[in-house]
Amino acid sequence: MEPILTVSNLQKYYGSKGSVTRAIDDVSFSVRQGEFVGIMGASGSGKTTLLNCISTIDRPTAGHIVIGGQDTTRLKSKELSKFRRERLGFVFQDCNLLDTLTAFENIALALTILKTPVNKIDGMVRQTADLLDIADCLKKYPYQLSGGQKQRVAAARAIITGPDLVLADEPTGALDSKSARLLLDRFEVLNSERDATILMVTHDAFTASYCHRILFIKDGRSFTELIRGRDSRKDFFAKIIEVVTLLGGDDRDVL
Amino acid sequence: MFSKLALKNVTRSLKDYSVYFLTLTFGVCIFYVFNSLDSQWVMEALQGGEKSSILDATLMLVDIFSVFVSVILAFLILYANNFMFKRRKKELGTYMLLGLSQGRISSLLFLETLFIGVFSLAIGLALGVLLSQFISVFTAGLFQITIPQFHFVFSLKALLKTLLYFGVIFLVVMVFNSFAVSRRQLIDLLQAERKNEDLKLKSIRSSVVLFVLSIIFLGVAYTMLLKRGLLHIDALFFVMLGLGSLGTLFFFRALSGFLLRVFQANQKLYYKGLNMFTLRQFAARVGSNYVSMTVICLMLLLAIGITACSVGMNNTLDTLTNAQAPYDFYLSAERRSSETGETTPVDVPATLRRAGFDPAAQLSAGAEVTVWYSEVKIPQYAGTDDEFLDYTGILPLSTYNAMRALAGQRPITLEPDRYGQTLSDWDSRTEIMSEDPVLEIQGHALLADSRAVFHENLSIGYSTGSFFYLIVPDEVLAYGGDWTADKPIVIERYFCGNYRADVPKEQTEALLHDTLSQFHRLAFENDGGSSRFNTKLEIYMETMGTKIMVLFLGIYLGIVFLLCSAAVLALQQLSQAADNAPRYRILARLGAEEKMRSRSVYVQVLLAFLLPLLLAIVHSVVGMTAANAVIAQVGRLDTVASSAVTAAFIVVFYGTYLLATCWGSKRIVKSR
Repeated sequence: MEPILTVSNLQKYYGSKGSVTRAIDDVSFSVRQGEFVGIMGASGSGKTTLLNCISTIDRPTAGHIVIGGQDTTRLKSKELSKFRRERLGFVFQDCNLLDTLTAFENIALALTILKTPVNKIDGMVRQTADLLDIADCLKKYPYQLSGGQKQRVAAARAIITGPDLVLADEPTGALDSKSARLLLDRFEVLNSERDATILMVTHDAFTASYCHRILFIKDGRSFTELIRGRDSRKDFFAKIIEVVTLLGGDDRDVL
Repeated sequence: MFSKLALKNVTRSLKDYSVYFLTLTFGVCIFYVFNSLDSQWVMEALQGGEKSSILDATLMLVDIFSVFVSVILAFLILYANNFMFKRRKKELGTYMLLGLSQGRISSLLFLETLFIGVFSLAIGLALGVLLSQFISVFTAGLFQITIPQFHFVFSLKALLKTLLYFGVIFLVVMVFNSFAVSRRQLIDLLQAERKNEDLKLKSIRSSVVLFVLSIIFLGVAYTMLLKRGLLHIDALFFVMLGLGSLGTLFFFRALSGFLLRVFQANQKLYYKGLNMFTLRQFAARVGSNYVSMTVICLMLLLAIGITACSVGMNNTLDTLTNAQAPYDFYLSAERRSSETGETTPVDVPATLRRAGFDPAAQLSAGAEVTVWYSEVKIPQYAGTDDEFLDYTGILPLSTYNAMRALAGQRPITLEPDRYGQTLSDWDSRTEIMSEDPVLEIQGHALLADSRAVFHENLSIGYSTGSFFYLIVPDEVLAYGGDWTADKPIVIERYFCGNYRADVPKEQTEALLHDTLSQFHRLAFENDGGSSRFNTKLEIYMETMGTKIMVLFLGIYLGIVFLLCSAAVLALQQLSQAADNAPRYRILARLGAEEKMRSRSVYVQVLLAFLLPLLLAIVHSVVGMTAANAVIAQVGRLDTVASSAVTAAFIVVFYGTYLLATCWGSKRIVKSR
């Protein structure tokens, strides 16, 4: 099967001639339809830069990113907006909901930007809300919601347009462990029921243990890859910790 | 190093808060220009060498208004300063965190204000001096005055005054800043950003009720104003003002919620593109900004009203001059015999000719007017107090027609047994005469001719006095015989006329002026006497003084109010755009194109600028309708001209700020 995301020889350099920082130095990997992939690495390892490049917010210096058969590095900025709203869904650490809109409207906004017919909006929003277990707080404003609820609203907004790829940047970063577990449960449901392809950046081993496969990045390069296979989540978690320890070496702030 | 930091902060602020500096500079500039009026050469030209009391009054009023204006500008500057202070809370908190004492921070702000003040004063004054060069040219053009040699206009008095007033304002700002810093807790400063994001979201239903209430209030206030008129000041007048202001306040308090409600009812519109976001955003802002929107609307109303009325009055006064002076000049002279003390009217045209001014050559038309006095008996009141009409001037029909010809009007005719009347708008004899009584003059019984009653002004400069002349057929006064007792006597004799049209009127008048001393010598010879000389040009000059006063003061205040409202709006919009930058970033990530985002920004800025303007226009249309009724007593307010000029002013000032705001907001949204 054709992979939904292919990253090949991706490079991203910052700085000028004198001092070049290689944030990403030749990274290649691919993600298939329906996968739940994690990207791990210490802070400064380049994982967020990688995600920004994939999400078309940042432009790579070299290499190619193909999403659903479309090479995004060749798109013009106007086409990029279109591409983002049609093919991608985002969940960020700080959830990024618009505080002036209700939860319902926040989710609906993704549809109105896509120019979805009005009569379809209500049904689609409710269906997605059910899936994420937020049906009872649709009328509330973000400030009335808990962190976990907000993040699930953001997740609903990300997947309601049926994107090829959902990109999540530290989605549990600002959540307590219970809310984090609830959110990750929902990610699993989305992944299994909607067949959503999820690419999640995290530095938290517990969060990562929900993924099917984890890419480790160190100093802008692929370090190793861990596949969950038939492991239980607990076993997978232990394996992740091992790699993280190895990866960390002298770097203590990994966990 | 300390002042270096202050200077650096100021230069950075210059970029971020261009609207603040623009406003300060404009304020200084306008203040200087209007206070420098007394050194404008056009003022000297208008005064014609002599001191005109009206121009003095204008200058004095500018002085008084300037105090008022400086208070307004002080509030505006404090507001803008407060706005800058709010946005810098975090920065100040960081200074404090780094160990700078509150006293040091206060003095940092003090220094910054000083730099800002000096900077804006310098630029504003430079602009003001430049602009004041054009004031004379502009005014001269407006009043068709020939321009004397150009010379540089500079008013030291205005300069010092501007420095003093703005110095005090900046001092107040400095004290305010120090005070504000010393009262803040570090935690408040550091968390300012978070606290700013608090949103006050109100129930929509209550805003619909409030909106209906505001419409009712405004409707009642409008009706009261139109029914009662503008100048009926009593307790109810203040009730009306209160209702209008409260209605405006409620209107803006409720408007956003109401709009939201309306749009939400129309799902197709609500769920289209970024409409939902734009409306919610606007609603969230107006909810916290309704007070300032109300103030802005009322200030705009003042600006529109003042500018429109002053320009309208200006045009009205033109008509007034013609009404006050039906012909170009009036000259009368009476010779008083030094022996008997008896006075005799002088034959003006003949004396003029002898003095070197030939009426036949210099005038296009002239009329010798003789006003007679004779007893006027009202037979129907015989035996009562009203038997005789009070001391009344009588004009022969031929004289009256000659005067009409001078004013460019057709002659009238009278039946031999009829009399006509010419009178000012109100006269004590009006009541009796309204009964059209039969009059007995010189033995002739005359009937009233109702077609020959003229409300007009026959002389020059009698705009406020009342007068009353009877017009009678010439034969009535042409006594041929030897009555001794009650023959008609001459009470007034004068010469009036129009200058030649093919020679500039100023030239003819100067010639006439030059002849006057010779005229007096010839007319009075060795005796004493008195003479009266009035001209239309003099009246025009005097009226023009009033015109300039009304125009300048009106425009002064109008511009200041406009400036204030536009600046406040622009500052608010820009600060909100900055607050909203993260929201637009979210939209960008969701895939909303730049075009969509900019449109949302423009719609919000336009709504914020145009809604207060629209309500202010509605207010002022109603207000002007009422004002028209007042001004109609003086002359008619020229609505078309005043509306056009007002519109031009609004477009220039308000438009500049609107564009600057759109541009600034877009820049904020565009940057990632």
